[in-house]
Amino acid sequence: MNQSLTVAAGTSAAVARARYVEELLGDPFEPGNPHGQEALLAADERRQVPAATEELLGAAGLGAEFVPRDLGGRLTGVEELAQVLRPVFRRDVALGFGAGMTALFAASVVWTAGDARQRHATARRLLDGGRITILHREFAHANAILRGEYTARPAPGGGYLVDGRKEVVINADRAEAFVAYVRTAPGNGPDSHSAFLLETDRLPSGAIHRLPRARTQGMRGAHYAGLELKDCPVPANALIGRFGEGVSLSLRTFQVSRALVSGSALVAGMDSALRYAVRAATESPHGTVPRGRRGRVLAGVFADLLACDSLAVTGLRLLDLAPEHALIPSAAVKYAVSALLHEDLDELAAVLGARGYDRSPAYGGFQKLVRDLPMAGLGHAGTADIQAVLVPHLRTLAHTGRRDAHTHEAPAGLFTPGGDRTTLDFRRLDADPRDPQNGCDGLLTALLGAAARLDGQSSRGPRWAALADLARSFAAEVRTLAERCAALSARLEASALDPAAYVLLDRYCLLLAAAASLAVRENADRGAPDSGLLAGPDWALLALSRIGRRLGLAVPELPDGVSQDLAAGLLDRYRRGRSFDLYGMRLAGAAQGAVRSV
Amino acid sequence: MHQQDSEASAKAGGRRGDAIAHATAHGSAVAPPVHIPRPDSSWRQIRADLRDRGTAVAYATWTEWLPAVLTTTRLGPLLGRDFGRYADTQDPVVRCRFAASRLLIKYTVAAALGIAPEDIDIAYRLSGRPYLRGLDQVDVALTHTGELMAVGISRMGRIGLDAERADRRLDFALVRSQMCTPAEAAELDALPEEQRAACTLRLWTLKEAYTKALGQGMRLAFTTFGFGLAAGGLRTPDGTEVPGDDWAFATHSVLGRYLLSAACHDAGLDPDGDTSVGTMLDQGLLTALAPPGQQRGPAVDI
Repeated sequence: MNQSLTVAAGTSAAVARARYVEELLGDPFEPGNPHGQEALLAADERRQVPAATEELLGAAGLGAEFVPRDLGGRLTGVEELAQVLRPVFRRDVALGFGAGMTALFAASVVWTAGDARQRHATARRLLDGGRITILHREFAHANAILRGEYTARPAPGGGYLVDGRKEVVINADRAEAFVAYVRTAPGNGPDSHSAFLLETDRLPSGAIHRLPRARTQGMRGAHYAGLELKDCPVPANALIGRFGEGVSLSLRTFQVSRALVSGSALVAGMDSALRYAVRAATESPHGTVPRGRRGRVLAGVFADLLACDSLAVTGLRLLDLAPEHALIPSAAVKYAVSALLHEDLDELAAVLGARGYDRSPAYGGFQKLVRDLPMAGLGHAGTADIQAVLVPHLRTLAHTGRRDAHTHEAPAGLFTPGGDRTTLDFRRLDADPRDPQNGCDGLLTALLGAAARLDGQSSRGPRWAALADLARSFAAEVRTLAERCAALSARLEASALDPAAYVLLDRYCLLLAAAASLAVRENADRGAPDSGLLAGPDWALLALSRIGRRLGLAVPELPDGVSQDLAAGLLDRYRRGRSFDLYGMRLAGAAQGAVRSV
Repeated sequence: MHQQDSEASAKAGGRRGDAIAHATAHGSAVAPPVHIPRPDSSWRQIRADLRDRGTAVAYATWTEWLPAVLTTTRLGPLLGRDFGRYADTQDPVVRCRFAASRLLIKYTVAAALGIAPEDIDIAYRLSGRPYLRGLDQVDVALTHTGELMAVGISRMGRIGLDAERADRRLDFALVRSQMCTPAEAAELDALPEEQRAACTLRLWTLKEAYTKALGQGMRLAFTTFGFGLAAGGLRTPDGTEVPGDDWAFATHSVLGRYLLSAACHDAGLDPDGDTSVGTMLDQGLLTALAPPGQQRGPAVDI
């Protein structure tokens, strides 16, 4: 069974494995499917993990997805990993974290800086179906999940004694190992914390106190519980990387976490939320996807989803191709994707109407997503954590408006979902902000390049002309942002923080979503399924117009038919049983052939 | 930071609306609205409510804030991106009321976040709902009717407000058919005539507040969700209680002539009580990213 996720050489491994997981879990809406919505919602209602599904995934070797290939697992690139995890997240966000991705949040620290013994022990544990979770340090403005931390002091005779308590840690009541960020020095310096691999079988029984489950609003089935350590003796060789390297290690490994949360949990969760809304719209007494406002909302959210996925996939591919440059983009990805999807959930709730409160398997998953997705984003504390990473980048942004900026574009290979695959080398992750394009932001300048090239396409028709116009006003906005960053830099004392910085960062992240959308559209394969939907102008036009309105830009009315055509494309994917993301993968279960078209 | 509390101003402000009915058993989670008649009134109660209860609501009449609009020398910076809309509005009453409501938002948020009102960029979601660009520690809500304007802030999750004149009488037959779920209609039908009008109005403001909290206003059909008028709480159209204790609702009477309803969501993350901008970046990360004397790249710093 452990080999069942392995595929023959020559096929696209990621696509085949994603399909395998999709088929393994089956049609979510088939009555009686033990891994369908009926069972998953019932488990959530009972505040239990869906045990049968968790076992199924374990038996299929999901743990190996988080173990690098050279250690016996199947992990190569994170774009691929996100693809494989999407079928799980589409069905149950809590399950995706609890039975899956949390393990990588922890193990990535070992893959990045662990020694040979730690790497092999962690790999063995995950390959054998064991559990490992992460104990974060306490951040500024911490919420329940980030509150509390552990402190180490030298033990007589070597090693450390660790004390502390956290109340809300996923899988704390059932993990056999923990990667813990432990305070090893007072104060807020860069060397305040160190990372340790705590393996319960190497610690004296009685030193680790597992506390009761915490009651959470969302992800009710996930095992959030407390963990208390009292004079817990930790051997010196449990230290991961160097002493005092904890904060730096978190800066390096969170890049992977942020891109993966965005590119699997958030995008896949939104895919499902949109599916519930499409179903509600097609099941309405009118029988067709509505033209008016509901059709516009569905098309708009579809465009947002493709924009979010463009940004997420760009971030994931950057990690795979050039991990040393991923610090800033991976943070911006999480910021923008969270912001857009949060708003889209509200819009979809209006389309769902009373069905939004329906707890039956057909629609109950929507309310569950409304509860679960905010937990995945970690709320304001998660945002503040990202803002701390992004603030130094405003210096670089000040240079993005210079005249030769467009010559510093990020390579097209970042914007081709499923394109050339490489293996993420965790050791190359870097905690220092830098940019490959001589102080320009290479992703943002991709917007300038794409806008310039679209200028030549205006003659292809009104939609192309509208897209070219919109791209031009976004390019102007990039230059305005650069000027404002320069002005802010010039008038501030070093180390002073102006609240205006947060406003500029917000605009930067939204512009990056536009940049990724334009670049993904430009590089899309016209011969791809759904008649080259991704290569056409409609989705990018709608996505940019929505992003532009969020930026407060004067956005002209869309040409006639753009929303309707995109809604038709969405309905076509729904009917054919395809995912709504960039990959448009085939979903388990019958295609919805009965729906009449627009 | 920009406002000093004083006993005198605490007396001038800080007057609370009277609770007339709690729509749910959790209504106590919604802080009663606080009268803030001027920008230099005491904001202490607002800060305390936000810290201790997770939400705070400030209200005033726009005429109380009119002197601030007319006398400030900083109206441009204070209105920021909204200045264009202000300048383009021809009707002086509409224009001044708009400016006063933006000042109330900015001063309320400034008090809560410990920054200057000019530093707040009010942005608008696609639905038109205002939010604070780059600062997501609080959600904001705005309502105004007649002279009254009210601003709600919450650090727990979404917040929505709606106000109506207490003596407003809705067309009961129309409201009953267009806005009520069958369960609500049955409850209203059973009420004595003299209570029915007030109850209908309260129901209307609750529905408005809830849909505004969801960012949808009246786009979310009012018949697709309901409230238990007597027992309280969110209901499905057939009157079944919507499970969970994440929503709290309350209605208060303010200034003796308005109803002000609030809908507050608790996303369940148990966020920090500290909402100030000055403390939100983790010092450990900042020092790790910018070690002293080792600034990289272009020589300007932020």
